[in-house]
Amino acid sequence: MSPTLMGIMAISLGSMMLSAAVVVLFVRDLLSAIIITGFVSLSASALFLLMDATDVAVTEASIGAVLATLIFLWGRGKIGGGE
Amino acid sequence: MSLFYWTVAGTGAGLVIVGLWGVLSRKNILRIALAFTLADTGVNLLLVWSGFLPGRTTPIIDGTVTASEAAASVVDPLPQALVLTSIVIGVAVAALFVVVAVLASRRLGTADVRRMKELRW
Amino acid sequence: MIRTVSVLAILLVLGALAAAVVPHLGMPRELAGVGREYARDGMEVTGSANLVTAVIVAYRGLDTLGEVVVLFCASTSVVLILTLFPLGVRPSPPSRIVEHTARVLPAPILLFAFYFIAHSHLSPGGGFPGGTVMASAFLLVMLGSTSVPGRSGSLPAIEALAGISFGLLGFWGVLTAGQFLNNRVLGTGTPGQLVSAGLIPLISIAIGAKVASEFSGVFAAFRKTGGME
Repeated sequence: MSPTLMGIMAISLGSMMLSAAVVVLFVRDLLSAIIITGFVSLSASALFLLMDATDVAVTEASIGAVLATLIFLWGRGKIGGGE
Repeated sequence: MSLFYWTVAGTGAGLVIVGLWGVLSRKNILRIALAFTLADTGVNLLLVWSGFLPGRTTPIIDGTVTASEAAASVVDPLPQALVLTSIVIGVAVAALFVVVAVLASRRLGTADVRRMKELRW
Repeated sequence: MIRTVSVLAILLVLGALAAAVVPHLGMPRELAGVGREYARDGMEVTGSANLVTAVIVAYRGLDTLGEVVVLFCASTSVVLILTLFPLGVRPSPPSRIVEHTARVLPAPILLFAFYFIAHSHLSPGGGFPGGTVMASAFLLVMLGSTSVPGRSGSLPAIEALAGISFGLLGFWGVLTAGQFLNNRVLGTGTPGQLVSAGLIPLISIAIGAKVASEFSGVFAAFRKTGGME
């Protein structure tokens, strides 16, 4: 993969991740915040794959994007979906 | 390649700072847990980035990388092993955080940390 | 107001500290230190083609044992809290899509999990993600039905058995070669074969079983307190 292509992918993924992280703090609805956190974990898994860390990418995708999101969704179901 | 290198470092550092800001300034307990998970993801990204050597390949010895030239053509496998441990422990901590937060907000009747004032001494 | 200013001050100080370090970093060109030794000798010392698994299970096996202990403490605490302080109401019945998917999908997911654990020393793999994928297959089965899991002793029994077998495999190394978690007791075999790399496949299977049963126990405790909507 050519360095310019990797640079373009890093810039697009990185800017999406940072803006999504800021949105998590300010969006009113907790369900959106949880799903956007799952998106940040999935983009981190893509960056891990670009850095040639294959085991880490699969582990982050299966643990961070699935298990953590499910745990937060259970918690939100217990204490309401407010601010 | 230096564009990729420094962009990933900036993303990791930015996630840590945004996560830390969220932990310090938000008032819903679940949102604090989400910001903590964001900071954890940023730290893992920075750890894997520290072992990345540009132009090299995955540390698995198969048809494309032979054992004799491994030390000259793979990225560092040690930070990847540390990050595997860190990801699993991060989700364990997040699970415990959410369970205790749910229990506390059920008992005290609120999800706002500024109103959880039971423990004062 | 004071709160916002102090938060911003803390973040600015941390950012300045980080920015002071950056000019001293450069792009590295060669492996340095311990990583170089692991990459150079990893396959012939441990017999595993996957260098990351070699580091996790063989070179730094004691750290992995510590991680297994941390996971055990966290999941046991979660199940204990949810059993002592029940929160629950009855779980809601699943929709048609979930119900029909939960009849078909768990089998391929389990097959992928077994493949991932069994190939931990040959290709990208490992005990931790394989165990998690297995637990998500169990979660799919749980979500596809309305019944609440009863009081079963089999999940904690599997978890305890897997944890004990990790420790026993390590002690086998002590008895035969004088070193905890020595990898040579079974012989390294030919790297690249499915049966090779000493104790690494057995330890990966133990780790996978332990992680899967722990997370399944946590999901069952969530289910008993009223479902995951």
